[in-house]
Amino acid sequence: MRGEAVAAAQRGLAGPACILALLFALGAGAAQAQPAEALAWMRRIHDATQKLSYTGTFVYQHGDRSESSRITRYVDQRGDIERLEMLDGVPREIVRTRDVVRCYLPGSRVVKIERRTRDRSFPALLPERIGALARHYDLALGETRRIAGFDCQSIVLTPKDDLRYGYRLYADAKTGMLLKAVIVDPSGERVEQFTFTQLAIGNVTRDMVRPRHASGKWRVEDAAASPARLAGWGLSAELPGFHKVFELKRRMTDAKPVGQMVYSDGLAAVSVFIEPLEARRGPLSPGIASMGAIHVYTREVANHRVTVVGEAPAASVQRIANAVEFHRPQ
Amino acid sequence: MKTRISALMDGELDDRSAREAIVTAAREGEAAEAWRTYHLISDAMRGARPLSGEFSARVAERLAAEPTVLAPGRVQPAARAWFAMSAAASVAAVALVGWVAFAPQPESTPTPVPLAQVKPAPGAVAVPMPVAANDYLLAHQAFSPRVSLQGMAPYVRSVSDER
Repeated sequence: MRGEAVAAAQRGLAGPACILALLFALGAGAAQAQPAEALAWMRRIHDATQKLSYTGTFVYQHGDRSESSRITRYVDQRGDIERLEMLDGVPREIVRTRDVVRCYLPGSRVVKIERRTRDRSFPALLPERIGALARHYDLALGETRRIAGFDCQSIVLTPKDDLRYGYRLYADAKTGMLLKAVIVDPSGERVEQFTFTQLAIGNVTRDMVRPRHASGKWRVEDAAASPARLAGWGLSAELPGFHKVFELKRRMTDAKPVGQMVYSDGLAAVSVFIEPLEARRGPLSPGIASMGAIHVYTREVANHRVTVVGEAPAASVQRIANAVEFHRPQ
Repeated sequence: MKTRISALMDGELDDRSAREAIVTAAREGEAAEAWRTYHLISDAMRGARPLSGEFSARVAERLAAEPTVLAPGRVQPAARAWFAMSAAASVAAVALVGWVAFAPQPESTPTPVPLAQVKPAPGAVAVPMPVAANDYLLAHQAFSPRVSLQGMAPYVRSVSDER
């Protein structure tokens, strides 16, 4: 449309109507068409993630490190199974079925089990919630680029404040499959990225998603997560845009009960873990650890260890951590 | 020439340019070397096995010749054989990311672009990620909406013992 208007103007057919049309086309292109198209692309990526079978190798890069992994997804009428295998460093394998995530650690012969909650509304980013992303992010279409043999369209999500990261997503123009995701900090620097280096869509068999390890005799650590109300715990002030989406009780390695509250702005999520401190231990010194877009901040509140884990800038994770408070229930 | 070889492998050259590149690769030392190196890297990425006996030696040679930002990890004796191979794959992965993700590049050896180092907010003490953080990461990923756009890929975020 924009091209036609320009061409018409250049051909010398320009009357006032044509100039108006040109202005309209330019204005609409900048203000409306792009966000709507970008949202449509987000839906395509979402649908592709739910529907496609694929197998491929991708590289996760963060800081000065990079690690490659193989991911395979198999879909049939009964649901989908996904298998992730880390190819670098300590071997690890994660297999997710419709309602269980199993993490195999051959080094220590341990299987960690996370059962998915019955509440189906989360963690899924539901298609009807995709529109709400525009509340915290400006969405636009970016460049087109060829990645691992696929012609990709990029979708750029720029945060409206510095409380969250920005995203550049590259999706296959044909299928909507996400080939690359770059996470950038508020100053525009990349903090981590996922890039497929090889990908084949379709032709996946059930065998390709079976765990590689016979883990029959391994120790099983079941998180036994279940929705719960963590009486007395909360935030003195929520971080703008991040709302509590889940509250549960679970177990960690040492079998102690741990509370978990999850806050999300629709795309990024921050978890607050709460566990009782052992009486003998000295005071806990607060500190922040980082890995790519993930930050972990630990501090002590009311004789509990509070650990906040989230894919948000360090200052945001810290703000949430510092807002955690306990009021003895009346 | 390396850029041409990389474009050739990506199938981005038209027939004529491809023919020229192939002829050069067959003749020239540098181009032939680039052709071999890039295939080594892509084979390693795809997990193709068995690797040739010279694989590690060649990667080690390349590694010695190239500036790299990859810090060597602590090697545990029991895991040495595995680690040697995965270290080679990591090097290849770093080079590949630099090469694939940041193309087009000037004619130089593919080197990764370092990502931003995160600075904590003022007043916070930066501490290393404890290995125990893996439990928190696993528990957290399960609730990230990103999974709806990327599948299990974000689950790779874990702390390796070799750090």
